[in-house]
Amino acid sequence: MTAPGVSAVKAGDTIEPLSRTVTQEQINAYADASGDHNPIHLDADFATAVGLPGTIAHGMLTLGILTQALGRWAGGTDRVASLEVRFSKPLRAGDTVTCTGSVVAVDEEAGLATLEVDATSSSGERVMTNGRATVRLSQQG
Amino acid sequence: MPDRSHIGRRYEAPGQVIDPERARQFAAAISGADTDPFPGQVPPTYAAVYCVGPSFAQLFGDEEVGVNLAGLIHGEQSFEWPAPVREGDVVDSSAEIIDVEDKRGMTFLTLAVEAKRPADSQVVCRGRALMIIRGAPQ
Repeated sequence: MTAPGVSAVKAGDTIEPLSRTVTQEQINAYADASGDHNPIHLDADFATAVGLPGTIAHGMLTLGILTQALGRWAGGTDRVASLEVRFSKPLRAGDTVTCTGSVVAVDEEAGLATLEVDATSSSGERVMTNGRATVRLSQQG
Repeated sequence: MPDRSHIGRRYEAPGQVIDPERARQFAAAISGADTDPFPGQVPPTYAAVYCVGPSFAQLFGDEEVGVNLAGLIHGEQSFEWPAPVREGDVVDSSAEIIDVEDKRGMTFLTLAVEAKRPADSQVVCRGRALMIIRGAPQ
């Protein structure tokens, strides 16, 4: 995978959207892999009792999917230099999340692109807002 | 419940090993039904395991702060990765409570986290996590 060159990237460029259906099985696997077994992710009765619409994905799982979307564009997730988001709405188990991003600035000297990033659920809700990322670009090309 | 007197409280979690098998399990969990698109690269958000997780475990176990885990929500997250972390790295992680606020009947707690690789004194992750602590289920 080749990283986009710093001179080839410009404001307005968009990354290829990445959609993934986040099943309860995937949430369970993420709970095991991350060690975060908060019952709002795993126990529907508990989630409902605290006012959620059912079990929800870990915000960090959605953030991980977003990082993969950025990594596909950047030529590797190790090129993602920073990421910040607000988890604005829960992503329910079984929902499909679509991660998108567009370049808002390029710092040629530092070799960094700044992107606005977003994640939207299949029910049309933005599960993340105020999303921003920086990506290390290749100095060649 | 956390209050402003807890601001400045620090948690240290030295010697976190980036275990290759665990990092791959984490990458697979993010990938779901897809194949891990970046085999051999530690997912940046694996910071949940080597940086944020160990600090949270200590924070949640800190009875003087008394975080109510029932219905705890992750509100905001930011990360900087000045250099990628690699499989086999050992990092020292630390965290500090930098803000506690009560709003709308909920408590908003901000934790600043950092992970440094002592082998080359490289900071591999800095971040801030905002946790929203809601009431217990009735």
